[in-house]
Amino acid sequence: MTRALEVESHDTATHSTLPARTDEGIDQIFSFRELARIDEALTMSSRETGLRFTLYVGDLGTPTRARAEELHAYSGGNTAEAVLIAVSPGQRVVEVVTGSAAARRLPDRACALAVLSMTTAFAGGDLVGGIVNGLRQLSDQAGRPSHRHH
Amino acid sequence: MTAAETILVFVAAPLAVVLLLALLTIGPAARNRRPRYKPGQPWTHEPVWYEPHPEATGHGSGHGDGETAAIGSSVYGERHGADAAATHAVSGGPSADGASAARAPRPAGPLGGARGTW
Repeated sequence: MTRALEVESHDTATHSTLPARTDEGIDQIFSFRELARIDEALTMSSRETGLRFTLYVGDLGTPTRARAEELHAYSGGNTAEAVLIAVSPGQRVVEVVTGSAAARRLPDRACALAVLSMTTAFAGGDLVGGIVNGLRQLSDQAGRPSHRHH
Repeated sequence: MTAAETILVFVAAPLAVVLLLALLTIGPAARNRRPRYKPGQPWTHEPVWYEPHPEATGHGSGHGDGETAAIGSSVYGERHGADAAATHAVSGGPSADGASAARAPRPAGPLGGARGTW
């Protein structure tokens, strides 16, 4: 099977240096095919809606909502138009955070519906399918921007 | 037909076909075996954050938005007017979407959203 990354070592590390990044091994959560699906879903939904969808997969700490909102502030670009989907598989929690401008086009009720379909897929062990379907629902709900601003 | 021929035709041949089909079915799945997520198991991976391509967002205008075909270091079209600052490497200007400013916390007013558990 072909690999996307060249992981063969050309390292000159000694005892006193750290190994090169290629020698640390890649933390493979998703296969490259799954990564491509996620990438396409994120890019297409962002392009269609003009909102900025980002996806966080990892631990969210104890008040998951607070951590997700903190992450949303760091999501880059115009955060008012940003939508963060934060999935914490270890805690079995998914949080959707919408900025103030995004929330007008994505009411909480629509987010809850997308979250419901995501959790259904997650409960079946299908992380990528749930994420892609949730993104599709959110972008369908948000629709096209009323005016394109460049 | 001798006994050996009978065994060859009625036992060995079907067995070969079954084995071939089994290999074709199970083979690919066994080769790229990865720890599949099961609900309830601990999550030991590092946190990751996936973003859309930079030109995909409404305010990041990209491919095809340029007015001229690029003659320069960028593969994107060269833009003019208010947007020009984004393509040229001049600092300053009103745009706060610079690479350094992108990671400063920017709380976005009243937040909405939803939570789900499974």
